[in-house]
Amino acid sequence: METEPGIVSPFKRVFLKGEKGRDKKAQEKTTERRALHTFSLSLPDHRIDPDILLNDYIEKEVKYLGQLTSVPGYLNPSSRTEVLQLIDNARKSHQLAGQLTSEQDAVVSLSAYNVKLVWRDGEDIILRVPIHDIAAVSYIRDDSLHLVVLKTAQEAGVSPCPSTCPDLSKSMTLGSLSESGAVLVEVCCLLVLAVDNKAAAEELCLLLSQVFQIVYTESTIDFLDRAIFDGATTPTRHLSLYSDDSSSKVDVKEAFEAEASTFSFQGSLEAGDNSPSPSSTPASPQTKTASEGELSTTATELLQDYMTTLRTKLSSHEIQQFATLLHEYRNGASIHEFCINLRQLYGDSRKFLLLGLRPFIPEKDSQHFENFLETIGVKDGRGIITDSFGRYRRTASSASDSTTNGNGAVRGDGDVGGSDERLAPSEGDEWDRMISDISNDIEALGVSMDQEGVTP
Amino acid sequence: MTMEEMRIETETNSMVSMTLYAVMYPVFNEVMCAERENPGLTQDIIMKILEKKNVQINYTESLLRMAADDVEEFLVDRPEQEFQDLNDKARALKNILSKIPDEINDRVRFLQTIKDIASAIKELLDTVNNVFKKYQYQNRRALEHQKKEFVKYSKSFSDTLKTYFKDGKAINVFISANRLIHQTNLILQTFKTVI
Repeated sequence: METEPGIVSPFKRVFLKGEKGRDKKAQEKTTERRALHTFSLSLPDHRIDPDILLNDYIEKEVKYLGQLTSVPGYLNPSSRTEVLQLIDNARKSHQLAGQLTSEQDAVVSLSAYNVKLVWRDGEDIILRVPIHDIAAVSYIRDDSLHLVVLKTAQEAGVSPCPSTCPDLSKSMTLGSLSESGAVLVEVCCLLVLAVDNKAAAEELCLLLSQVFQIVYTESTIDFLDRAIFDGATTPTRHLSLYSDDSSSKVDVKEAFEAEASTFSFQGSLEAGDNSPSPSSTPASPQTKTASEGELSTTATELLQDYMTTLRTKLSSHEIQQFATLLHEYRNGASIHEFCINLRQLYGDSRKFLLLGLRPFIPEKDSQHFENFLETIGVKDGRGIITDSFGRYRRTASSASDSTTNGNGAVRGDGDVGGSDERLAPSEGDEWDRMISDISNDIEALGVSMDQEGVTP
Repeated sequence: MTMEEMRIETETNSMVSMTLYAVMYPVFNEVMCAERENPGLTQDIIMKILEKKNVQINYTESLLRMAADDVEEFLVDRPEQEFQDLNDKARALKNILSKIPDEINDRVRFLQTIKDIASAIKELLDTVNNVFKKYQYQNRRALEHQKKEFVKYSKSFSDTLKTYFKDGKAINVFISANRLIHQTNLILQTFKTVI
């Protein structure tokens, strides 16, 4: 059909309108997208200020192809062939996106705590992976495709290996027979991302490398601190909470506070520092010397050290929540409830804090507590770096010997660690009162930190 | 006469070694006495010699590398297993600390070294605690004080590491490690003196 100039065929008008509409929409979408939360990085190694990863986050644009689950754990993330074979199979079976379009556009948000993936449009969360669940990061260039693959833990941990599982013989050496006779293998996930070019891929890998450095450096120092703490607080006497050498307690307190850069409650309240990261403030003496004087140096130091740790790891609101949970436990809540709530409060990145509670758990609940630690992967350093010999032993729980819980049961029947000494009820009461005071202090600290936050 | 017999005869009859015990031993003894009276004197002498000879070394780092060697003065000479363990654990800790200059520039290896140091500190303290539990001494306060000092310097070492990971100044780590080695030696010396 011939058309006159200026007149557009109705067919073309409808067709082109649709095309133009889609282009326009895509363009509008691009212009509507928010700016990413990003920072300039020092070249050539893309160094970023660690504080940004600890107290802030950085975003990068990626394409999310998908996540493969139940991947055999023995997959070598450095093997281009192995990884690409898995990805190719997954793309063929539509487990991963084939063609890359704007539909896969996503944002990866990096911090020292986790890797979070959200859709670029709509910001709906795709998934979140804690840093300690990331085993490896690989960059694979496949022609024009630049893939960044994260090998991560899978929640279930083990699953029956299907008969189609490659390298079954390898899995048989690693796995064990389940009750049904299926071979169990450790499995992992592969999070598959694509970026625009090699530079973007290297930048992402180097950022993750820096995150690992920060996290594992912190974990290693924490491990060192715990080792010193354990060795220092292991009782040198026969599991007595009470020292008959009152003068040495003063020396110890001064020694501990003079050199180490730790907080005290008074110091932190005066400084008004509500940042979770530790800083040096001059320690000031505790005011409760009268009550502390009746407890041994060991018990006092245990409490002080744990409070110090909480101060650096928890926010004010979380400290209040901790105090509430402790209060509930001491007033009759079950150890199971206490553990579950604390685990929820601390989250994955801080679950190691549960280890510090060991001395305060009464003997009758200690078995449940230890089992709980094992199930969440913090007992004996699992989930947290141990030394090359896997050494981390439970210390004698001297502080729990006379801890009371809400049921009022007082320990002291002499069956703690083989000691023949009995703890008098008054000693248990003193300890109980100390715990109450500490709980109140923790709550007060949380409140005061809130108040400092709003004060201009 | 065999070669070995000739060697032995030479050694026993030679006068050359007389210089060692006739001249140097008294000098060493005098230096030790002088050091007791004026702590730091030996270090000053060494530094001056190095300066005079224009030897460019990092003294603190070198001291750390050499500090792992056993010193007779700091070994507990009791046969019981607990005291032998004490010597062993102290030696192990000093060995690992002395490796810091070799490992500090490789982050992954350095983190592993720190973990090993942590375990070594824990094992030494456990051994000290075992001795405390098993043996009751009259002069226990001195031992407990020394243990507390050791813990204090261990914590200081940990704090120094935290600072190092921020500012990258390795020299402070070397200094702190040297102090920790010195405290380890003092623990042994205290046990040796008290028991």
